[in-house]
Amino acid sequence: MSFTGLILKNPFRNRTRAALAIVGIAIGIATIVVLGMVTGGLQTATTSTLKSGAAEITVTPVGSGGFGSGGGTLNESLATDLLNINGVANTAGILSVNANVTGASSTGAEGFSVLGIDSDKLILEGIDSVNGTIYTNGSSNQLILGQTAAKNLNKTVGSTITIFGSNFTVTGIYQTGNFMTDGGAFMSLDTLQNLTSNEGKVSDIAVKAADNANVTTVSQSIQNAYPNQLTATTAADQASRINQSLGFINEASTAISLLAIVIGGIGIINVMIMSVFERTREIGVLKAVGWRSSRILTMILGESIILTLTAAVVGIVVGVAGVYALLPLIGSGFQPVLSAGILLRALGIAFLVGVIGGLYPAYRASRLPPTEALRYE
Amino acid sequence: MNKQDNIIEIHNLKKSYDKGKIQALNGMDLEIKKGEFISIMGPSGSGKSTLLNMIGALDRADEGYIKVAGIDLMKAKDLNKFRSQEIGFVFQMHNLIPNLSVVENVEIPMYETNLTSKEMGKRALELLELMNFSNLSDILKQNPTKLSGGERQRVAIARALVNHPSIILADEPTGALDSKTGDTILKLLKDLHQKENVTIVLVTHEPYVANMAERIFKVLDGKIVEEKKES
Repeated sequence: MSFTGLILKNPFRNRTRAALAIVGIAIGIATIVVLGMVTGGLQTATTSTLKSGAAEITVTPVGSGGFGSGGGTLNESLATDLLNINGVANTAGILSVNANVTGASSTGAEGFSVLGIDSDKLILEGIDSVNGTIYTNGSSNQLILGQTAAKNLNKTVGSTITIFGSNFTVTGIYQTGNFMTDGGAFMSLDTLQNLTSNEGKVSDIAVKAADNANVTTVSQSIQNAYPNQLTATTAADQASRINQSLGFINEASTAISLLAIVIGGIGIINVMIMSVFERTREIGVLKAVGWRSSRILTMILGESIILTLTAAVVGIVVGVAGVYALLPLIGSGFQPVLSAGILLRALGIAFLVGVIGGLYPAYRASRLPPTEALRYE
Repeated sequence: MNKQDNIIEIHNLKKSYDKGKIQALNGMDLEIKKGEFISIMGPSGSGKSTLLNMIGALDRADEGYIKVAGIDLMKAKDLNKFRSQEIGFVFQMHNLIPNLSVVENVEIPMYETNLTSKEMGKRALELLELMNFSNLSDILKQNPTKLSGGERQRVAIARALVNHPSIILADEPTGALDSKTGDTILKLLKDLHQKENVTIVLVTHEPYVANMAERIFKVLDGKIVEEKKES
């Protein structure tokens, strides 16, 4: 058996203790992986909102926090009025409502978002093409479904969907890459207004700035023009706010990583010291047959690293499986991202825990005087 | 025979423990020729195991002269290499590693050589074949915990011989065995001594065991007090 084979075999001589050590570290690693995948997914969703051609500014009623509120609270005519502000190239009034879908599968029905917008303004919401056709303005029975919503509701182009008691034909399926947008549906603004008794009302207004205009300046101009009525938020501001929230998750992830290193490190020190104590006589024999101290140090340190890397593999598998197992229960269409960075981080932390936890026991073992070690009972 | 034939030369060797309160070796003198089978007898605490530790370079003496297999152990720096190449230990409690198989236990001393895993396995098997096992193929892959005391000690002897050492140091090798098994082990050591021409230093407190050797040294209070030559 090679020396590497010996290092691979030794950590599992006491299977219960090895399993407990692995579980302890794997929990920390799984948490890191889950947080990493969720953060990665949210970051991808955030960046995908900034598509070319899409509106850079969202105008909402004062007090809504910069995010579109449900229902109609703004006059639709404001969308036309905003075109008079310098630097505004295009606007679209959007009515946003939540709807329950008759005949939906068990998942995905709740929080299903239906937006009303004129079909020629869909580009402002990041929709430049659909699989099928786009609904016609004023039509009373057509809509387009986001890819995630279509999957959750088990609908395809040509399917019928019942919203607010009316039947709609799915004319097209769209995909923006934003899990929130892709989890909803778009229909004609007039149709949704009539259906929800919101005639002449919208929830928010999407504003596209002119190519040569500064988006922040345009946003400020809108704000100045309607100081007590409207709040203008740029997409970059929205992304920044989301990223700030993601920053907290990242910080939490870092804190958990550090905690995993400390707790895992202490656990491994404990396991390896116990192992060295139990094997004191054996270490004495290894010295008696001529093993160098460095070989004994390498063996114990290697065993510690093998334990933590095994824990990393278990933690990664459990974390990834856990995220994908829970995903259908959330049903929002959120797509977690498993990047190489997350895997490297998990393996790196495990390696570090192995080195930190194994170093002292390994050093101690390597320094054992052979005569004392051989006398150990 | 001149001094060059001596594989072990010890003069006025002293070793104390517990800040000088225990004088384990107190001016020990001993010369052993290459290929000899000698035994060291003495009561508990007489210094015989300390002497064995000094010869095997497991510990360093406080003062005196000790030269083993041409190496001055008072000055030598790399004692690990010396132990690996020149010394084979056989302990009273076999000291095999419980989670490794019989073959893997015999391979242990070879990790400090340049042999490949395959060569190590082959060499271990060769040694085990010399140990007169009646059921070798059955026990090769077994852990030592499943072997009898005699079988374990045979594996330990194979491990001691695997690097072709010049000297075998056996500390009470039959101490944990019944008399019949002990006899078999002693016979095996004697056969190996003759076949391999290896020097054997055997520590025991049993006269019957000591009588297997060519020369018997009696140790008391850290000194050789009597030397007897077997006819």
